[in-house]
Amino acid sequence: MLWVALELPALPLQIVEQGGACGVPLVVSEGPAQRPTVACLNVVAKAAGIREGQAVAAAKALAGEMRVVARDPTVEREAVERLAAWAAQFTPVSCIDGPGIALEVSSTLRLFEGHARLCAAVRKGVRELGFQGSLGVAPTALAARTFARAAARGLPARSCLVPGELPERLSDLPLFLFDWPGKTLARLADLGILRIRDVLALPQEGLARRFGPEIAAFLDRLLGRLPDPRAPYVPPPRFRSRLELPAEAEGVEALLFPLRRMLAGFEGTMRGRGAGVQHLVLSLEHGRRARTRVPLEFSSTEREAEFILAIVREKLGRLTLRAPTIALELRAGALLSYVPRESTWLPGAREQALDRGRLIERLAARLGSNGVFGIAIAEDHRPEKHWGSDPFSREAEQTGKRIRPCSSPREKGSDPRPAWLLCRPQKLVTQEGIPTLQGELEMLAGPERIEAGWWDGEEVSRDYYVAANPRGETFWIFREHRGAQAWYLHGVFA
Amino acid sequence: MRATVAELAKLPGVWRGGELEHASQPPVPTGHAALDRELPGGGWPSGTLTEVLHDGAGIGEVSFLAGALARASEGGRLIAWVNAPHLPYAPALGQSGLPLECCLVIRPPSRDDALWAAEQVLRSGACGAALLWLAHDDYACLRRLQMAAQAGRTLAVLYRTSPALRLSTPAHLRVLLEREEGWLKVSIPKRRGPPLEEPITLKVGRRSIRKKTKALDLAPRLRVVA
Repeated sequence: MLWVALELPALPLQIVEQGGACGVPLVVSEGPAQRPTVACLNVVAKAAGIREGQAVAAAKALAGEMRVVARDPTVEREAVERLAAWAAQFTPVSCIDGPGIALEVSSTLRLFEGHARLCAAVRKGVRELGFQGSLGVAPTALAARTFARAAARGLPARSCLVPGELPERLSDLPLFLFDWPGKTLARLADLGILRIRDVLALPQEGLARRFGPEIAAFLDRLLGRLPDPRAPYVPPPRFRSRLELPAEAEGVEALLFPLRRMLAGFEGTMRGRGAGVQHLVLSLEHGRRARTRVPLEFSSTEREAEFILAIVREKLGRLTLRAPTIALELRAGALLSYVPRESTWLPGAREQALDRGRLIERLAARLGSNGVFGIAIAEDHRPEKHWGSDPFSREAEQTGKRIRPCSSPREKGSDPRPAWLLCRPQKLVTQEGIPTLQGELEMLAGPERIEAGWWDGEEVSRDYYVAANPRGETFWIFREHRGAQAWYLHGVFA
Repeated sequence: MRATVAELAKLPGVWRGGELEHASQPPVPTGHAALDRELPGGGWPSGTLTEVLHDGAGIGEVSFLAGALARASEGGRLIAWVNAPHLPYAPALGQSGLPLECCLVIRPPSRDDALWAAEQVLRSGACGAALLWLAHDDYACLRRLQMAAQAGRTLAVLYRTSPALRLSTPAHLRVLLEREEGWLKVSIPKRRGPPLEEPITLKVGRRSIRKKTKALDLAPRLRVVA
C-alpha cells in the first residue's frame, strides 16, 4: 500500500478565489451570525493586519473596505468531492479523507513511472484547477495525511515508502497534526508529551487506559499495525460544476481564465471514468436568475480541455452579453465511453476523419452551421435544385436531413455545367435582342431545353446556352421559354 | 568544413538560380504536362501558398485546377472552398471528377471571418487543397497564411486580381491567367527558378466546350457570331 494525501489549507478561501484572485481584502467568516470570526483570509487582508480568529467587526475596523464571505460547508464538501472525482484519473482508489483527499497509488505506480512523477502530476493538476495543496506520501493513509499537514505548515516532512521507516520519519513531528480531541492534546501537553516520538514511547496499555482505546487504535493504524480500509469515492453519474467569479466579469475574455480551470477539472473527471461527452452546456449566470446558455455539440466523444476551450472561445466570441457574469456552470449530458487518440507519426484514416470532424466543428462554432456545408447532387433537372447543401452537423445526421448522394452523376461528359452557379439568376441587358454582359455575348453551345417542376409549382421552362463575351469570359445563360422571354445569367464557367 | 557546391545544392531550400527548386514536399500534378514541366518539383506545391492572378470571372480559373483538386482529395482529404464568389456547382464538380463528399464550402459572414477560416483550414491538415478568395491584401495577412499552409501540408491557392502583381508576396509561386483567342494563357511571374519567358497555353474551358457539343441549334431569331 502506498498512500498519497492531498491537504488543502484554507480551503474555504481557495474555493472563493478559484475563479481568480481577489484584489481587495477578503475574509471567510465562520461561527455564530451575531459574532462571526475570521476563518481564513487572503494576502491583501493579511497585509492589512487582520489575523485568523479575530472578530469580523474588528477586521472591518482594520481594513476599511473588505469583502466578507460566509463559510459554507456544503460548498466545501462539493469541492472536495469534485477533487476526488478528478483525482480518479490517477488511481481507482480515490477517497475523501476529512478536508482533503487520499489516493492509494500502489497499483498505478508503474503507469506513472514512480511516486515522484505521480506526485508531480498531481501537484501540477491541482494547480491547474486553481487550488494550492500539499502532498504527503506514506504506506498508511493516516501517516500520509500527517506528512501532508506538516508540509502545509512548512515543517520538514519526508515522504516514506517502507512501513519499517515510519516511526523514525514521524518521530520529530508535533502531535497537533493529528485529528485528536483538543482535551486529549492538552492533557498530553501537560505531561510534556508534544511530539509523536514521545507518544510512541509510551506503553500501549497505559495509553489506552488513560486516553481511550481509540487513541491506541489510531496509533496502530498510523503505523500500519491495524488495517485502515477506505471506501473510494463514487462520483454521481452526471457531471456538474459551478464556479463563482471573484468579481462581476464584463465581456467574454475575462471568462476564459476561470473556464480553463473548470474544463481542467472536467477533463480529469472524465479521465478518471474513461468517459467523454458529446453534449455539454455552459451557463453564464448574470444574477437575478438571468442566464445565457451556450450549448456545445461534438460529432465525436470529446474531453480534452484545450479543444473544448477553443470551441467555447469561438462560441463566446459571437455572443454579446446583456449583463456582467457572476458565475459559470458546466453541465455534461450522458457520459459516453471515450477512445483516446493515439499519437502516431503516420496518421491513418481514423485520425484523419477525427481531424476533419474537429476542423468542421471549429469552423461551425464561429461561422454558424449555415456557413459551413458540403455539396451533393440531387435528383432534379432544374439547375438550382440539381445540387444540395449537405450539412455536416450532427443534428442533420440524426434527423436524416442529409441529401442522399445521387448514385451516378448523370452528366459524365454530357452537357456542360458551370463551376459557379449564381444563387439567383441575374437578368441580362439586351441590345437588339442579343444579351450582353460586358460586351455582346456570343453563343458557343445550346440551346439545351430544361423544362421541369410543373408538379410542385416552381416550374421552369428555359433554353440554356453557353455564351462568351469579347473578353473571353464564358457564362451559362438562359432565356425563358414562356412569358417575357427575358435573358438571365445563371452560371460562370470559372 | 569543406562543403562543395554540389553538397550545398542538396540542402533544403537551396537551389541554383538557373534550375527549378526541388520541392521539399511531394507536389500535386496539375494534369497539364506543359505546366508541370515549368513548375518547381513538377506540380502545384503543397505546404506553401500559391497565388493565381486573373481578371474577370469565367476564364477557366477554377476548372484548370480540376485535375490537381481530384488528386489532392485522394485519401479522403477535404477540398475547402473559402469565401468563393459564387456557389461551387455540384454537377460541374462531379463532371470534372472531383469526389463531392470531399468538398467543404465555407461562406464566412465577414472578411475577417474569411481570413480566420482560411487559416484554420490550412493549419488543420485535414484538407488536401484549399481555394481561397480573400479581401485582405496586406503582406502580414498573407505571410500568416503562408505559415499556416506550411504547418498543414495543404495545396493552398489564393485567387487575386492582376493589380496584385505590383505588390510583393510571401507566396512561393505566382501564376497569371489570361484568356487569349479561346485558350488559357498561363504565365508564371514568380517561381523558385529561372523566369519563364514564354507563357504556356492550355486547352481548358471554351474550346473543350465547343468540342463536346456537336450541333449548334440556335433559335432562329438569334444572330450567331461564331
